[in-house]
Amino acid sequence: MIWRLLNYRSYSAFENMAIDEAIFRDTMKNKKPPTLRFFGWRPAAVSIGYFQELKNEIHFERCRLSGVDIVRRMTGGKAVYHSDEVTYSLTAGNSAKLFPDNIGGTYEKISLCLARGLSLLGINAHLAKAGAPGKEPDKTSCCFSVPSGHELLVAGRKICGSAQMRTQGGFLQHGSLLMTFDPVKTAALILSPQTPEPDEKLRCSVTAVNEVIPSPVTAETVCAVLQKGFSDELGIGLSEGTLTPAEKALSARLVKKYESDAWNWERKKGSI
Amino acid sequence: MKVFPEDLLYSHEHIWVRVDGDMATLGITDYAQESLGEILSIEFPEVDTYVERDEAFGSIESTKAVVDLIASVSGTIVSVNEDINDDIGIINSDPHDTGWLVVIEMDDMEQLDELLDAAGYHDFILRQEAD
Repeated sequence: MIWRLLNYRSYSAFENMAIDEAIFRDTMKNKKPPTLRFFGWRPAAVSIGYFQELKNEIHFERCRLSGVDIVRRMTGGKAVYHSDEVTYSLTAGNSAKLFPDNIGGTYEKISLCLARGLSLLGINAHLAKAGAPGKEPDKTSCCFSVPSGHELLVAGRKICGSAQMRTQGGFLQHGSLLMTFDPVKTAALILSPQTPEPDEKLRCSVTAVNEVIPSPVTAETVCAVLQKGFSDELGIGLSEGTLTPAEKALSARLVKKYESDAWNWERKKGSI
Repeated sequence: MKVFPEDLLYSHEHIWVRVDGDMATLGITDYAQESLGEILSIEFPEVDTYVERDEAFGSIESTKAVVDLIASVSGTIVSVNEDINDDIGIINSDPHDTGWLVVIEMDDMEQLDELLDAAGYHDFILRQEAD
């Protein structure tokens, strides 16, 4: 099977989420093959999970003063500060038949692809056990504070956080693979009311690509190895493509939704 | 092995249906709640909303995913389970009974003919796991 690859490019938070929703809708509607997309965030942004309450998760004023955009994702999970990272989105309909029809199995399979790609950089990433952490409920707002089952760890520290949404026809999974990590900035922007010294906790629980290899690599290099990880692990071909005119038109309309307070503060979907 | 109550009907989207006259109570199956893991949030439709069969009537969030809830029958939402607002854990702990989600007043009872019985749903899951 040949998938479409949309290679690394940076967009605003609102454009990124609009593009992913447009791809998702078009893939489901027209039963298209999967799309693997790599992207960055310019300017830096904080995204919150679909069900999160913005006022409970984010230092809104600090984000505004820092020029950090805020956006609500379609996918679940917790808040993420997106700065120096490679984000992937994978959209696949059920007809792709390459992924199990359940959340955990899909996570696991995607994580195996990512781990295989990272191994080409000499990074030994392994999957967190299903059901991790299991000791106590996680009270923090930040995605990277705790690994979920099947997420990727390097030497016990989380390197990639992922989130998913599923409909009847398929799924969209987002994931953030950190190139470098700034625990102080992350802790300053994402609220962690019940965690003393949140930046210290993050420093101990999170790592990044360029912190675990001897010579720094670029986002483009990381995308190349991840692409190979997916194609080798799944036995698929990836053909570099672009957004279709229909996806471009839809994403242009959806940007307004992702920029809106109605969506970001109140989770109102509108009629687009 | 999971046991699915014999008095319920089931959809391929892992929703169970309990029929009482033209009223259908819907919830997620035990299989679905186990696949989802700990459920954190749910988005219900408003009472009096009309929902179409095979369309989303809400969504549910577990630890790391948001999943659409797909209506097994068409009709008008007449009730949502407000106990879930007090304790969302009942969807995980008692999905086939107190963890019910919505009641729909059906307008086409023939749609029920396309749902599975307990044995059929069980076979469906086995086939899915074998794929």
